Amino acid sequence: MPERSAIPSVASMITAEGLAKRYGAKTAVNDISFTVRPGQVTGFLGPNGAGKSTTMRMIVGLDRPSDGRVTVNGKPYAAHRAPLHEVGALLDAKAVHTGRSAFNHLLAMAATHGIGARRVHEVIELTGLESVARKRVGGFSLGMGQRLGIAAAMLGDPATLILDEPVNGLDPEGVLWVRQFVRHLASEGRTVFLSSHLMSEMAVTADHLIVLGRGEIIADAPVADIIAGGTRPRVRVRSPHASELADLLAAPEIAVVRSEAGVLEVTGVAASGIGDLAAEHGLAIHELTPQNASLEEAYMALTADSVEYRTEAVR
Amino acid sequence: MTTITPTTARPSQRTRPTSLSFGGVLRSEWIKLRSLRSTIWSYVILVVLSLGMALIMTLSYVSGGGPAGEADAAGLSSEAQAGLLVQASTFGAFFGQLVVAVLGVLVITGEYSTGMIRSTLAAVPNRLPALAAKAVVLFAVTFVMATISAVGAFFVASAVFADSGIGANLLDASVILRILGAGLYLALIALFALGVGTMLRSSAGGIATVVGVLLVLPLVLQMIPADWVQDVLPYVLPNAGHSLFADTSAAADAVPFWENLLIVLGWVGAPIVGAVVLLKRRDA
Repeated sequence: MPERSAIPSVASMITAEGLAKRYGAKTAVNDISFTVRPGQVTGFLGPNGAGKSTTMRMIVGLDRPSDGRVTVNGKPYAAHRAPLHEVGALLDAKAVHTGRSAFNHLLAMAATHGIGARRVHEVIELTGLESVARKRVGGFSLGMGQRLGIAAAMLGDPATLILDEPVNGLDPEGVLWVRQFVRHLASEGRTVFLSSHLMSEMAVTADHLIVLGRGEIIADAPVADIIAGGTRPRVRVRSPHASELADLLAAPEIAVVRSEAGVLEVTGVAASGIGDLAAEHGLAIHELTPQNASLEEAYMALTADSVEYRTEAVR
Repeated sequence: MTTITPTTARPSQRTRPTSLSFGGVLRSEWIKLRSLRSTIWSYVILVVLSLGMALIMTLSYVSGGGPAGEADAAGLSSEAQAGLLVQASTFGAFFGQLVVAVLGVLVITGEYSTGMIRSTLAAVPNRLPALAAKAVVLFAVTFVMATISAVGAFFVASAVFADSGIGANLLDASVILRILGAGLYLALIALFALGVGTMLRSSAGGIATVVGVLLVLPLVLQMIPADWVQDVLPYVLPNAGHSLFADTSAAADAVPFWENLLIVLGWVGAPIVGAVVLLKRRDA
């Protein structure tokens, strides 16, 4: 949208510098620095307990950092004159009083910033909550709670959105809705920071990934780089001459695994190389499929051997 | 549920920028208070208790069970008549204080138990305006509701007493000031409970603490025979508080109104200060 593109890119960034959070002897977040940029969906990935939620709470000032600082659009969140217009946050789908209706919850949140009832109706429509807006939140499903949280985050029409596990508890339609929604927000030039422990979802939603493990950043790179860097491409070969082919392929940089009778999983050589080799020796091939490395595998590789990865993929 | 129509995400606020203000936070807290059933019920119970207690007390008085025995209304001075009416009008406050105390605790602990507090503090990241707005709204609404119920109780009592020839003018200083005193006391109790609830962040713990201070503490102290304990008794919150509206002119060692008010303010101020410090320091 035109009014979005007018926003200078520096105007909506999240910047963390040496951010740390310790609870007594336990370190939840350990000296992390990162930048979340506008115009793309930045995924915040990591297993449960890695420190994602703690980091997000520190961004909006709910938790006080033990060390370091984090700014949104150049200032600490609390220093903004209209925080809800700067950042919309879905931190916990259940951050709503269960005895209040969705409409009254949004109305009360909006009132703090002088935002009127018209905008409340807009975000209710935007998130598809019209039919339940007057019902008490206590009876909401997890999915409706997530939609309400997103509605609240959108109240101030902020340039930056922070969404902690927004697809948690959503049905497939809801997951798709969130994916389209955040992609659309990013396309408007907004900054979208989205956490999840679902790697498959991140692979299709995010442009850029910050991977957190045990309170530290393991990777901070575009999704494509992480997938490419995390695993080596694999080729699945089905042939009646599987064992002969395996012998021919034998080389130090090539790994061949027999997954079932007549099927080889080959790493270290491209599908074309295997096809040429088989043709040269007149061996029939029934299947030759390059296996795309999944983010899931990349993620496993990352967390399994984070130190080795750090040297090659972290920018 | 519908799928997203991208155009509906169009920014609409850009044209009319708004910002965080204390007035806005006040409005927000007012919306929050009035949009919960527990609030409505608490104030309904407060009014019913006040009117009901006035009715019970005056009926038992005119039927001969009152403190003056077989009262001869005609023999009562106008001061004594006003005193009787005030007593009936404010009798409900002894029970109403428990209702507003529970409400005061729940206003904040309800946010902690449901997670709402994170939404509240994300919208008002400086935090103290949120607590201040809660306190202002709770105080004002409780003062108005408690005063209205005491005035209502005055009319109930006047109606019952009418046949016995007992009456007083509501706007007499000796009447209206004590009725306002009862309203003030209940509003301050609600603030005391808000402070305790904010410090403890737990509904059960908060309610137990305020009920303990209002009911158990004076009873326990009364049972200790030591002299110094008897000297401390007037400084206990409900004892000092009741003197804001009860007729103490008969007692020789009556503590002046302002002194009692200061004692109550001290009781209210301590947990509020604690709440301010903890709210600012703690993670939400």
